Amino acid sequence: MNAEMYWNPVLETLPREKIQKLQLKKFQRIFRWAYEHSKFHRKLYSDAGIEPGDIKTFNDIRRVPKVEKAMMRSVQKKEPYPYGDMLCVPLEQITEYHQTSGTTGQPVYQPDTWQDWEWMSESWAYILYAQSFRNYDRVFIPFGYNIFIAFWTGHYAAEKIGCEVVPGGVLDTEARILKMQEVRATALIATPTYLLRMAEVAKTKLGIGPATDLCVTKIATGAEPGGSIPATKKRIEETWGAKLYEHSGGTEMGAWNYECVAQCGLHVNEGLFLVEIEDVDTGELITDPNRMGKMVITSFDRLAQPCVRFDSKDMIQWSSIDRCECGRTFRLIKGGIIGRADDITKVKGVLFAPSSVEEVVRGIPELGNEYEIIVARKGDVDGITLRIELLPQHRERISAVREELVRQLRIKTNLRYNLEFCDYGTLPRYEVKSKRFKDLRKGS
Amino acid sequence: MLEEHNIKLITDKIETIKRTATELKKISGGIQAIDRNADRILASVKMLEINISDAVDIITVDEMER
Repeated sequence: MNAEMYWNPVLETLPREKIQKLQLKKFQRIFRWAYEHSKFHRKLYSDAGIEPGDIKTFNDIRRVPKVEKAMMRSVQKKEPYPYGDMLCVPLEQITEYHQTSGTTGQPVYQPDTWQDWEWMSESWAYILYAQSFRNYDRVFIPFGYNIFIAFWTGHYAAEKIGCEVVPGGVLDTEARILKMQEVRATALIATPTYLLRMAEVAKTKLGIGPATDLCVTKIATGAEPGGSIPATKKRIEETWGAKLYEHSGGTEMGAWNYECVAQCGLHVNEGLFLVEIEDVDTGELITDPNRMGKMVITSFDRLAQPCVRFDSKDMIQWSSIDRCECGRTFRLIKGGIIGRADDITKVKGVLFAPSSVEEVVRGIPELGNEYEIIVARKGDVDGITLRIELLPQHRERISAVREELVRQLRIKTNLRYNLEFCDYGTLPRYEVKSKRFKDLRKGS
Repeated sequence: MLEEHNIKLITDKIETIKRTATELKKISGGIQAIDRNADRILASVKMLEINISDAVDIITVDEMER
């Protein structure tokens, strides 16, 4: 084993049975911390009749009540303001404020101490190091540094690894591309949506080919499913002439998984997190590979506002690959975050995940990067519309493309769509997270 | 890969840094330039503990059993 392949070979190659022992020990510790320092957690656990001494085995962990985002919202905006009773440390120890994007409702505030913030960048260091970021890389981060966590911790982790970091903050897309070219950036951290957007702007407005005129060889991505959707990944890697590596994370829990250079799935960072997958309907624990369920996650070492059995609503599945060729023993998930439990819905009685449409659209070369899915109900019947853009040079192929779309969508999703071809450039463009799925049945 | 005895040695050194940084704060006389920088050292020490010390008893248990 070559220790230089890993950020921390001690944890990343620990035998499975030892990882589980470590996880139980660390769960006991964070559970006790939350119980003893947060009124919210103490009440939650007391009401359920469970206290720290009761956690003796993995099965005991399943008895610990889950925390949902709505519960966090209900205690926030109260004293100690604005975090309320989940806060486990005095306010004066908080050095970092961030918040969720509020995609699913009122944003949740996330306080961190300096130690928590170190931990956040530590979890990202595992990611970037596994993705071959090294101290000779010049990393460009085209992200609007602001109240959202997004790539803040990627920035600090790249520094920690020893990379030279170029913050692409308030620059517009064209200025960012020109700056990347000027400084000869070798690595990049951005969302799949923005990577495609940057490539489009580079080609159409600046005459710059990302693969030929820039020096980027590796890209860390996340925040959306795209990095694990094969057609999107292929499109980005070909456009940029670089390897694309995925990871997943969230404001409340931190960055909990990463793809390594072997690219055969995403390693759950089991030294820092406990990931449980459970059946959406029954709550049954899923340990088998290739069976999708909802993730419940615990961050072992983040203390100001602990994340203990957080019901993330992210849909994931274990991989059937037992051991990655990279030598890491951390278990793999397959296909990243497949969607959110809120988005995976039934259309015409068929279980539908929007990410499966992206796989089809991005796999057809005549189509642009953007698309929009709209589900609506007329009377008692669900209808699903897919809006796509045909690249201008392929206008004469519209019939063939339509036929191919119908065929592939039928195979991948088992649904029929109303297809709307839009003029190229008319669908919304996004710079961070996209909103391409609209279910108009909700709230109606 | 690190030998088990090296992991124990590393853990001891981590503990020494932690103790020293904590003692530094005790004798700082409240000088913020010492206290705040010592806090940053302690946050980094915590990362060393998470990466190494937390696992040391689990890594070395086989050796003890042998």
